[in-house]
Amino acid sequence: MSKENAKKKKSFFYLLSVKLFGSGKRKLSILEEEQVQSPLRSTIKQFKENKLSMAGLITFLLIFAFVFIGPYFFKQDLAFSETSQINVSPGLNLMDFPKELDGNVKQISVGPIFSVGLSNDGKVYVWGKPKLSKTMDMSKVPMGMGKVVKVAAGYDHVLALDQYGDVWAWGSNRLGQGAIPEEVEKLKNIKDIAAGYQCSLVLTEDGYVYFFGNEATNDFKVKNDYQGQIAKIVTSSDAVLGLTFDGRAVYLGKQKNAYANVPEGMGKVVDIAATASTMAAVNDEGKVFVWGNVSSYGENKVPETDSRIVSIQGGRYHYTALTENGETVAWGANFYKQAQVPDKISDTSIKALFTGFYQNYAVNNDGKILTWGLKGYPLGTDDLGRDILNRLVNGGKMSMTIGAVSVIISTIVGVIIGCLSGFFGGKVDMILQRIVEIISGLPFLPFAMILSALIGNNMTSNQKIFLIMVILGLLQWPTLSRLVRAQVLAEREKEFVTAARSIGVKRMKIVFRHILPNVISVVIVTATLDFATCMLTEATLSYLGFGVPAPQPTWGNMLFGSNNSIVIQNYWWRWVFASIILSICVICINLTGDGLRDAIDPKSRER
Amino acid sequence: MLKYILKRLLYFVILIFVMSFLTFMLYNMIPGDPARVEVQSIKNKVPAEVYQQMYQQARQRLGLDDPLLVRYGRWMGNILKGDFGMSSVYKQPVRELIVAPMKNTIFINIFAILISLGIAIPIGIRCAVKQNSLFDNTVQVFTIVGYSLPTFIIALVCIFLFAVKLGWFPVSGMTTPNFQGTAVEAFFDKMYHLALPLFIMTIGSLGGIIRYVRAAMIDALHMDYVKTARAKGLKEKVVIYSHAWRNALLPVITIIIGWFLTIFSGSLVIERMFNLHGMGKFYIDALSNQDYNIAVTVQMFYFVIASLGNIIIDLSYGLVDPRVRVNK
Repeated sequence: MSKENAKKKKSFFYLLSVKLFGSGKRKLSILEEEQVQSPLRSTIKQFKENKLSMAGLITFLLIFAFVFIGPYFFKQDLAFSETSQINVSPGLNLMDFPKELDGNVKQISVGPIFSVGLSNDGKVYVWGKPKLSKTMDMSKVPMGMGKVVKVAAGYDHVLALDQYGDVWAWGSNRLGQGAIPEEVEKLKNIKDIAAGYQCSLVLTEDGYVYFFGNEATNDFKVKNDYQGQIAKIVTSSDAVLGLTFDGRAVYLGKQKNAYANVPEGMGKVVDIAATASTMAAVNDEGKVFVWGNVSSYGENKVPETDSRIVSIQGGRYHYTALTENGETVAWGANFYKQAQVPDKISDTSIKALFTGFYQNYAVNNDGKILTWGLKGYPLGTDDLGRDILNRLVNGGKMSMTIGAVSVIISTIVGVIIGCLSGFFGGKVDMILQRIVEIISGLPFLPFAMILSALIGNNMTSNQKIFLIMVILGLLQWPTLSRLVRAQVLAEREKEFVTAARSIGVKRMKIVFRHILPNVISVVIVTATLDFATCMLTEATLSYLGFGVPAPQPTWGNMLFGSNNSIVIQNYWWRWVFASIILSICVICINLTGDGLRDAIDPKSRER
Repeated sequence: MLKYILKRLLYFVILIFVMSFLTFMLYNMIPGDPARVEVQSIKNKVPAEVYQQMYQQARQRLGLDDPLLVRYGRWMGNILKGDFGMSSVYKQPVRELIVAPMKNTIFINIFAILISLGIAIPIGIRCAVKQNSLFDNTVQVFTIVGYSLPTFIIALVCIFLFAVKLGWFPVSGMTTPNFQGTAVEAFFDKMYHLALPLFIMTIGSLGGIIRYVRAAMIDALHMDYVKTARAKGLKEKVVIYSHAWRNALLPVITIIIGWFLTIFSGSLVIERMFNLHGMGKFYIDALSNQDYNIAVTVQMFYFVIASLGNIIIDLSYGLVDPRVRVNK
């Protein structure tokens, strides 16, 4: 019964409301609308009807959410730079190995952004991003090689050893790392090859090591004490470690450095590996020793394992190891999840492990290849090897914060000056208007630049960010103050001001409590449009190098240094993405501001 | 009217002094001690006491210990005399150095302004006449995009498309290095180099001008005399171009007069991106090289130009439109 009643009631009220206000479905005429809607509601309605502005607002909110929620997922490390990952083009294909290799893999050697694979039938495959520059293409495998038995990927070159004992090299040869010396060409008993940073190493069956490439950056002593005893060699980014036939890990350089401090009492070493700056050895008891320049990434924090570690591989800043019953462990730097073995891999029995730089390939007992680590960069990397997506998110947060704070400063100053100047008139107005004239007469960009250059001369990065906010805020307010002044001039003659005055309200209270709410719409619209201007100005300043200093990213200074044709053409991802998001953001804010103005003051639409 | 002009000029002079004082404060903030620079070279040749004495003498001669106002007076006096100091990088008087970039900037900007006005005015009029048509709405969207995009992004895209991908224009520079040819050929070579920067400057300023012309024209079209003209049975073309446009021209012309002063100031971003040796690049280079005598001079120059522009805009309202003739 009550249900029926409710229905009846509803229909009664419905009828009543239709009688009073119309059905709501029918399009109301302007007169009726004004009767039933508060100005705020009609403004919102007007705004909602403007599809372009709504689209602008929604897009802006999405970008806003993206840059303010994003930093929780994309942690920013301002000191980060990685020379091996500079100018990597966008894409997530660093570990997309060719299908032919699956189940048929003999060896994989990993370079910074490319990997070289060798199948059981002696064929070489290259994947990832082999095109390091216009002229250097790692996938251009030389013709005429016999069946290849070993491959080694260096920093920017690749070595291959074929069945006839010939060494082949391709890729960069700037420092002679690809020029095979005659003495090596003559060798017929080559066992192993290794390629490092600008250097190549060849190891013979009888334990001799040959070195070619850049001797300045690689510490290698040709006539070392261990020639003739070496069974295996690995390279860090600047040194060489050897394993002798009798199971000793030996440093093959001439300098006395951290690498040369090989731990004593390791027992019989069965395997060695090296990261960029550390070296590691594993003995026959499965114990791992790490020495060298151990970084804060924790290359020496070897996890506990159930069974003995039998082999070890080194990445850029992390190690991976294989135990005797096929378990995989990894430790060290984990910023690309390269030291976090997925469950899928740690649960299965692994036959062989290939690690290098940030990529890991595990081969299970069926010969299938499983991967983890750095897949690539969705938006590429910049000239210091930093992920552009990460910088875009964190830089966006900074850009928006700077824009918002400057707008808040300029709005507060503008409103106060406009209100005072408009309400009090006379001398106050005269003086304030002269100040407004001076500030608005300042050529904005040049003045902001000279301020930033002179005041910010010896400031820290954070102080300079604040300086930019204040400069932008303090140069932006005259337009707003003029608009507010004009509005206040009109409002102060109205009856409610007279009424307030007659009951003895203080003048300051009249200005800020009674008049200000009436001019707030102008303030909101101007603040919105100013927000866009501030972001643009900040971007321009930073782009010119007078804004937020590196390494702190903003959308503007991400474009700094991209105005030469090489960057514009070859490394397009370094400027395209930041440009796009900055443009979209500013366009959206402007659309929203325009829409707001039209909604608040429908007359302006006719203009 | 004369009284108003005089009043404005008086304001202008006061403004310049306030501004120059601010600039002088900036100038004072410059790190470094000119006296020490002067005696630095003999530091190791003479005993420490003599050196100290000479340093004090230099300080006195340069007047570094004088009160702020005295120093300001001396500095301003020099500037009024046309002595802007020496450039610390080029080792030449700033006054001589500033001539070449000024010429270039004027050359570039005259073309930029003429081209953008030539394009913007017809489009603005058409938009106003066909208000809320498809054409108008499209142009409106484009103008929002136009003034939302920072110049350097437009420039990057244009360089990528026209200079790098299509190879139509040179990427940067003003002339072909070691160019030899007649004056006409040299002119065409220059224009070939300037084509892309001019194009970008035009695009960048188009949005604002179109909006302004459109608004002025819409105002004019709503006037009663336009209705009268239509009622008389005049052709629409005559109504628009003879009656409405002439009146819409009034606010536009004042803006144009103001703009013509900006031909001296140059575009910071474009000149830097295209390596054009104009005022903007001159200024940026001076700031980056910490050549502050140049920077302060250019800054003062910018300010004078901007305030002069404001005055001329205000006065020209009265000149071109008898209705708003200021007679206070």
